[in-house]
Amino acid sequence: MTKLGRQIGIGPTDNTSDQRTPRQRLRLIPESARESFVPYVPARYTTRAHEWDLTRISPDRPRADGSPIEVTGTVRTESGAPVRNGLIEIWNANHYGRYRHVEDGSGLPLDENFFGMGRVLTDENGTYKFWTISPGAYLARPDIGRWRPKHIHLSVSGGSSRLITQMYFPGEPNNASDPMAILMGDAFERNLGKPYETPDIDVDQGFRFDIVVGGRNATFFE
Amino acid sequence: MTQEHGQNALLPTNEDTCGPYFPIYFRDESLEDLTRIDPGVLAGASGQHIILRGRVLDRHGDLANGVVMEFWQANAKGVYRNPSSAGHPDIDPWFDGYGRLRSDTGAYKFRTIMPGASADRAPNITVTIFSDGINRIVTQIFFADQPGNDTDPLLSALDEADRPKLIARHDGRTVDGAEVYLLDIIMAGDGETPFFDDFES
Repeated sequence: MTKLGRQIGIGPTDNTSDQRTPRQRLRLIPESARESFVPYVPARYTTRAHEWDLTRISPDRPRADGSPIEVTGTVRTESGAPVRNGLIEIWNANHYGRYRHVEDGSGLPLDENFFGMGRVLTDENGTYKFWTISPGAYLARPDIGRWRPKHIHLSVSGGSSRLITQMYFPGEPNNASDPMAILMGDAFERNLGKPYETPDIDVDQGFRFDIVVGGRNATFFE
Repeated sequence: MTQEHGQNALLPTNEDTCGPYFPIYFRDESLEDLTRIDPGVLAGASGQHIILRGRVLDRHGDLANGVVMEFWQANAKGVYRNPSSAGHPDIDPWFDGYGRLRSDTGAYKFRTIMPGASADRAPNITVTIFSDGINRIVTQIFFADQPGNDTDPLLSALDEADRPKLIARHDGRTVDGAEVYLLDIIMAGDGETPFFDDFES
């Protein structure tokens, strides 16, 4: 059987996905060109102090509105190797579903105590931790009443591992109708944070989100 | 995802769209101009300065606003800076080869050096695009009139009609000596740019 590149799916009810999804199958890369398709991100990452705690703009400011949560997990490749000293860039909407982004024209309220962007590095075991405010869902398509479910964006860069993904929350009513979740099918479950109790720390709840960076690029130099 | 797994392979986290609100806050100027290490530092990459610019367009020919673009290339001598080249005598200490920018409008401009040819490869830059509505997509950009374009294995694997879609055309020179190359990337529809599958290949 001749191997083919993937045909990318178009997210249902997602206008931007319709406008921007390549219609042709992805092309296979000849083996002699394969290594050139493995970007290797230089380890010159920076994070600022307190960027791991998105629940406050700075340590001397009050907590943002909504429910503070912790997110922890590991970043590994498919072979199980930890992605060490990897950069995770994090962004999520505030309690009301609004991003502090100049292009978010939703009109939902900003929260003067919520910035909504942070960075953390994974440690030697590929482990990471951050705090944020449980994000609000927001109406993405008012014309058809489609919501974007609560989600946190995570961008992972480390060595030849590269992944942009989102963590969703279990049991949310809008998960099933989300265009990208629909494309994931049963594998959507992998993108759900797993709740845990946090009796000893100053957040309402924890979510375990173990990340596996797939594909040959991530393991290319292992 | 249908990628093959080894027997004990972990199941990959799904890629997802970066959405429209990738934080401009994460911008790093030193990744938008690879000819210098950091603004104001008297050190820089060896090689011919170039500016690669163009537009990222959607299925209707409209600019794809809010795209995040990442670039990956060899240095002027054709050496990639990765674990397999550690200790290579032709490494340029002032050049990592990785760039990133977010374009508000969908028009892009990336200053770097002309990558060297390597082994049987023509000079090229790997471009990764993240945007609202899609996950990561990847392609490779070549340069008009460079030696090796005719025999490059990636270009040669494409239909003849698709090759020009990956070759940036020369568009003059800036007053400070950078050669300008121009290429529009069409994400979908008529004239669609070929994108490559680094999961299945």
